[in-house]
Amino acid sequence: MEVSDSGVESADEIVLDFLDSMDRYLVLVDGLSSILRQGWFDLASARHSMSSSRMSSALFDLKIHNASTTLQLQQADPGKMSPHFDLCKWVSSENLDKSSEDKKFKKNELLQQEDSLQSHHQEPKDNISEGNGSVANDNNQAQKERLKSLSMFGALVAPKLWSSQLSFEKALETLVEIANTRASLLQAYDQAQQNMKKTD
Amino acid sequence: MLTQATEPLSTFFEYITYEHMIDNVVLIVTGTLHERDVQELLEKCHPLGMFDSIASLAVAQNMRELYRLVLVDTPLAPYFSECITTEAYLEDVYRFCQKLGGATSEIMSDILVFEADRRAANITINSIGTELTRDDRKKLYSNFGLLYLPYGHEELAVCEDIDQVRGAMEKYPAYQSIFSWLSYGETQLLDKAFYEEEVKRLCLAFEQQFHYGVFFAYMRLREQEIRNLMWISECVAQNQKSRVQDSVVFIF
Repeated sequence: MEVSDSGVESADEIVLDFLDSMDRYLVLVDGLSSILRQGWFDLASARHSMSSSRMSSALFDLKIHNASTTLQLQQADPGKMSPHFDLCKWVSSENLDKSSEDKKFKKNELLQQEDSLQSHHQEPKDNISEGNGSVANDNNQAQKERLKSLSMFGALVAPKLWSSQLSFEKALETLVEIANTRASLLQAYDQAQQNMKKTD
Repeated sequence: MLTQATEPLSTFFEYITYEHMIDNVVLIVTGTLHERDVQELLEKCHPLGMFDSIASLAVAQNMRELYRLVLVDTPLAPYFSECITTEAYLEDVYRFCQKLGGATSEIMSDILVFEADRRAANITINSIGTELTRDDRKKLYSNFGLLYLPYGHEELAVCEDIDQVRGAMEKYPAYQSIFSWLSYGETQLLDKAFYEEEVKRLCLAFEQQFHYGVFFAYMRLREQEIRNLMWISECVAQNQKSRVQDSVVFIF
């Protein structure tokens, strides 16, 4: 089989990309398993510390409220980039229409809310690039939103509950990274397959 | 036992149930705010804390109505100001036990003083990193305990991390042993240390005779057994059997 030097290098690069993606994918999956394990253990520790009456499924908030964290998908360009997932975490509920929290949503209103949410979700990502001052503001905002989500278990919660929350947050980030790595892995695999067909 | 008891033992038994009543009230009010079904919430309530009008808690729209419709006719009324406070309940129990005198007063004072101090430490630790101000934090502490006078509560109110809490409590010889084997920054073992200290004091209640403290100690030790079982179950369910010893407290 005769292959030009540039063709061999290109084939090698594609295979190396594939192997790198595979390695990254396996490391992330293993990491996810340990992060979730730690998160569940911290949750059990918090429940042990705070008592089961203060931490039970009966206290979950069933009121309709907007998601504080959303996932955006950027569709792949045909034949080029793989699809990309982005996580928008801890969007402030103060940015959204406060009066809507008191209404029962109809389906059309819910769809309109989703559109406005997407435009608001761009703001935190743009702010991060502006400088350290805005990063501190984002961190404070995220901390406030974290506190708000834990408030369903009371105003004063055990430190282990905070740790558990951070673990699950990290697990969510790892999941998105796994999805992106898997997309690039599949793309590298497709490219390797195509290259092999060309050289055959 | 409550129906068979005479005064003042019957009042003592009732005081034991008030803590569970407070927990049940908080559970139902919180669950109702979160739009949960009342029947589901009632099933989760502690049986010792049930009272006749407990289901009416779900009807109240605000704290004033809560008091007027339900709590005013319950034994929890004296503990209600802007909200129900367990600290008011603890102070009331403490005063009652002091009035009883004798071995009951001695045993129960020791247990309740430790409970008040432990609550102060937990409130401080749990409020680190929140928006609770120092003054608000101080208002949540009970008005008795080793830390109450002279400066314990003052020092706890300004703590910003767990090591400062440790520094404030280590000044009291009774609590030095708790922190002596803990590493800095550790919180989970602190819970276990507090539970172990509580169990030690509860077990001492059985060393003396003819006092009411044994009933209180029995209830609390039973609760610790339940906590142990729940912790072991969680560790088994999560396949973390090696971590069982992190929080199990041995009794006797």
